[in-house]
Amino acid sequence: MAVHSLRKSDIQFRLKTHAEYMQASFAALASAGLAVILLASAYSGDGFNQLLGSAGYAYCGFTLLQTFIWYRIRQDLIQSGSISPYVRLLGYPMMLSFATGNIFAAAAAFHLIKQKKHTAYTLSVYALLSTLLVIAVTALNMLKPYVANGFIVGALFLLLAAGLQLISLLLASRLDEGRLNPNLMWAIIILQFIAAVTGNLFSLFAGILLLAKLRDKGFSAGSRFGEVLERISHNMAAMLGLLFVSVLLSLSITSVLTFDYSLAIDNNYSAILQSPSAQYPLGTDNFGRDLYTRIVLGARISLFVGFLSTAIPLVIGGMLGALSGYYGKRLDNWIMRSLDILYAIPGILLAIAIIAAFGAGTMNLILALSVGSIPSYARTMRANVLQVSTLEYVQAARAFGSSDWVILTKHILPNAAAPMIVQCTLTIGTAVISTSSLSFLGLGVEPHIPEWGNILKLGSAYLETHSFTAIYPGLAIILLVLSFNFLGDGLRDALDPKISRN
Amino acid sequence: MSSKLKFAAPLLLSLSLLLSACTLTTKNDAASSNAENKSTNEPVVSVDTTPVDIELLGMSSSETDLNIVRDQLSKNGFNVKLNIQPDYGSFKTQQDAGNYDIALSSWTTVTGNPDYAVRSLFITGGDYSILSNPEIDALINKAATQTSDEYQATYKEFEEKLVFENAYIAPLFNSLKSQVYNKEVLNQDSVRISKSRSLPWEELDYNDTSKRSTEPLLLQSSTPTLTSLDPIKGNDGSINIINTNQYVRIVNLTDDDKVTSEGSLSLNHAIGEGNSDYYFILRDDITFAKIQDKKAIDSGERVGGNDVIFSLLRAKDKDSVPDHRTYTLHEHIQNVELVTDIAALEGQTVSGGSGTVKSALESGLDVGITQLVADKNEANNQEGKYQVIKLTTTEPFPQVLNYLAHQSAGIVSEKQVKAINTYDVAAFDVNKDIPYGDQNTVTEGNQYNNTLYTSGPYILAYKNDYEAIFYKNPGYMKGTEHEPRIETIKVKFIKDADSALSALRSGEIHLYYGVSETKFDVVKSDSKLILQTIPSNGVSYLLFNTSNRPVAESADLRKAVLYSINQDEFLAYYGGNKFKATSTLSPLVQTGLELVADAAKVKEHLQAYQASK
Repeated sequence: MAVHSLRKSDIQFRLKTHAEYMQASFAALASAGLAVILLASAYSGDGFNQLLGSAGYAYCGFTLLQTFIWYRIRQDLIQSGSISPYVRLLGYPMMLSFATGNIFAAAAAFHLIKQKKHTAYTLSVYALLSTLLVIAVTALNMLKPYVANGFIVGALFLLLAAGLQLISLLLASRLDEGRLNPNLMWAIIILQFIAAVTGNLFSLFAGILLLAKLRDKGFSAGSRFGEVLERISHNMAAMLGLLFVSVLLSLSITSVLTFDYSLAIDNNYSAILQSPSAQYPLGTDNFGRDLYTRIVLGARISLFVGFLSTAIPLVIGGMLGALSGYYGKRLDNWIMRSLDILYAIPGILLAIAIIAAFGAGTMNLILALSVGSIPSYARTMRANVLQVSTLEYVQAARAFGSSDWVILTKHILPNAAAPMIVQCTLTIGTAVISTSSLSFLGLGVEPHIPEWGNILKLGSAYLETHSFTAIYPGLAIILLVLSFNFLGDGLRDALDPKISRN
Repeated sequence: MSSKLKFAAPLLLSLSLLLSACTLTTKNDAASSNAENKSTNEPVVSVDTTPVDIELLGMSSSETDLNIVRDQLSKNGFNVKLNIQPDYGSFKTQQDAGNYDIALSSWTTVTGNPDYAVRSLFITGGDYSILSNPEIDALINKAATQTSDEYQATYKEFEEKLVFENAYIAPLFNSLKSQVYNKEVLNQDSVRISKSRSLPWEELDYNDTSKRSTEPLLLQSSTPTLTSLDPIKGNDGSINIINTNQYVRIVNLTDDDKVTSEGSLSLNHAIGEGNSDYYFILRDDITFAKIQDKKAIDSGERVGGNDVIFSLLRAKDKDSVPDHRTYTLHEHIQNVELVTDIAALEGQTVSGGSGTVKSALESGLDVGITQLVADKNEANNQEGKYQVIKLTTTEPFPQVLNYLAHQSAGIVSEKQVKAINTYDVAAFDVNKDIPYGDQNTVTEGNQYNNTLYTSGPYILAYKNDYEAIFYKNPGYMKGTEHEPRIETIKVKFIKDADSALSALRSGEIHLYYGVSETKFDVVKSDSKLILQTIPSNGVSYLLFNTSNRPVAESADLRKAVLYSINQDEFLAYYGGNKFKATSTLSPLVQTGLELVADAAKVKEHLQAYQASK
């Protein structure tokens, strides 16, 4: 048989170069893990928990199907080097797994059904998944005695976005890699941009990608941004990371309408420390506040502080590093040595000192977290600029008599930015952790404001008696940081010209 | 594909319609249906409903209470700004700087008498008072001279004025006193919990008595900075328990706040007819302990009448030391003297009785009074040679005995304190002069120079930022039931309450005082721990700023805050382990007054405030 004539490394190559195979194994493992967790928690405690149990069995079923698909993909790849259409058809039943909340299997299924995947198609799939998840999270509010005043408007808005995304997904599936179809593309762009108002990053990226393609008129392989997106869309871990961030961002925006802020702030002494139930999906804290609402709304501050405390040092550090690297000599020495002093102070200690001096508050928190990470950005930027400024095109620009400013902003910075972007995504996670740590220490935002560190702090006092108060905010922090790390890893690979697939 | 599209659009539309048609109750619907149920006869007046800014100051240790107050105020139309300070020092700094509208304060009447619950806090010029209201001063002074049957009405009037008429404070709750100990280590009969008095260390004992001299007893305290080890120079949580166990007093309080001579320097005490003369017959079996080479030794100097006179006179004298923190407690003392004439005791009858003071002092003693000696070294109780102290008050004031049981009335050595405090009080220089009991002299380091002379069961040998070491006073009531059982006591400084509880559960400390109500469940579920609780004299309340803030001028604004407070919610939060309070008097005097939250009154007072602006 042909199988035996293949060397082991050939088999490995065939399997590794097919994203469907990697995704199928990832999805199978993730579903299996979740199934075990669900079944374990269904059987723990007194008796059998109906809801958790049935979910667990559903997960088990999909895991089996997913494993079967994985096996078939493997066989197909080893034997013929491609996946047969029949196996791809199995993706349709797998899509049902989304109904159980299994995004891993659902995402893999969407990938499986189409043989030739346009990046816009992949992004559209994730855009729709993201909005559906937001809708699911939002819909849990309907189990409460009453919903926020803007709930119906917000929910319609989300459903509309989902509808637009569904339509553009169907349109995107008709896109052809080789041929440009401006009418179709414009339609998708408009639909996705409208849907992106909900904070959906995938919609935004899909729109930008197609727009860039249109402007380019298909002459080249596409913009650099498109290239990066294309590469990262093959990386499932990075996409799932981006999915979680996108869901949180959408929630932060739409929760203004769909979540009742008073449930997260106002004490309710008749519902102190309730276990998770339909009305309180994650239980209540010691003041009777709904943990579910608190955690969802807490994402807003965590993301806001995380983004800003990364953006500020990125701009300041980047600027200092660029100046330092470009001009060199004495300026370089001055800037870098002063930053070295800052670098010598431990970041979290510096933050604590700043907050102690200026008082606790969101703005001071951002300032405190920003200052400490300026030097690392400056160093990265300086190294990149040093490298890029020796390249030929910079020499050419200089020979043409371009001013320093033009050379720096037009030629050097755009080409030195990639490692900075990677560093950003990796440090956002650290910033989120630092925010939570400082709040945990009582140095962050005011204690009643829903912020993950605050929620965790209150919960930690009840870790022994009511552990859910600490587990859920802890999980939220872990997931967000993990998402940013996956995204950062994916971006690093995608931005690295050495790992180019073409 | 296009057929799919045609299919999808109407499907989505119908889905959206279906959802909007769903009978979802929004928050406003719920609110309005609630309002409909109530009678809505009130006329609708257009008023200024902009939230009133209010700054709430507190410590992070009472974050829970701050959050409940914040919640109640913001639900009643205030915009609350929280000012949370990490420790008492920064809290006090903020308070002194006036950076607050309302400060979350608490008060424990450690003497167990009502006068103390109000005098320091609310009288003009009191050591913790920021108020100045002649009516309130008059009521405090009037009640002080009255007996317990009479003062109830006076204190009721006082509470009316303080809380309901002027709203100088807004009461929150009265707490339980609680302590937890490890029953595998400590003998259950030896651990006392008293309403007011601090835990007597001398009675603590191990289950295994052979460990008394080998194992140190491990206790906990949250503050490593001790205000002062001179009893009159401090009155706060950092030293109350320590100084109570370092200096003996001439009377003690029982667990339910009755005055007793049991375990004190006096064998008996008596009140002379007229309630102005108080007599104490002293015991002869206590000597001062001192520290030599970081070990406790008997100084050989007996604790006697001259030390009592010296200690009490300096306690009442505002100018006896710089930073005198406790003189208001003792301002009713007029004079303290030795009685050397037995006839003076025979000629005086006891208050409310027929016997003489002499017979009252002798009751229960093995040997009657044969001679009264002036020199403490000549006293010998076995031979009938006693020392008797007579204390007179400025006016009839039976509550003076409670003050004498307070740690600030602890007996210090006249000789030693005079030898150390050689500076001029008026020209005291904090950088140069080292007063008796300065915490730096007992802190390990180059300033260490322990000059303590203690009359109580224990003496502090040395401390650092992590622990303080106490040794048993070798000359304290030797051979009696009050002789300290355990040789060494180690007080560990653990600031965080949760860490302290963890330390107790892991055996790192043996007894933990002041466990939070929210932790009772955890404690009860641990089989080796015993939880003791007793209603305490501790009351938490909101204190209003009296200068430079709108709350200082506007009684309406203060009352709006007052009626926003719902004590039932505090009780609910603490699972019934708190009690309602009307003022700091509530645990001591039943005045029958109660603060009831009233949103209508809040609105009314806020409108009046907005109108007056």
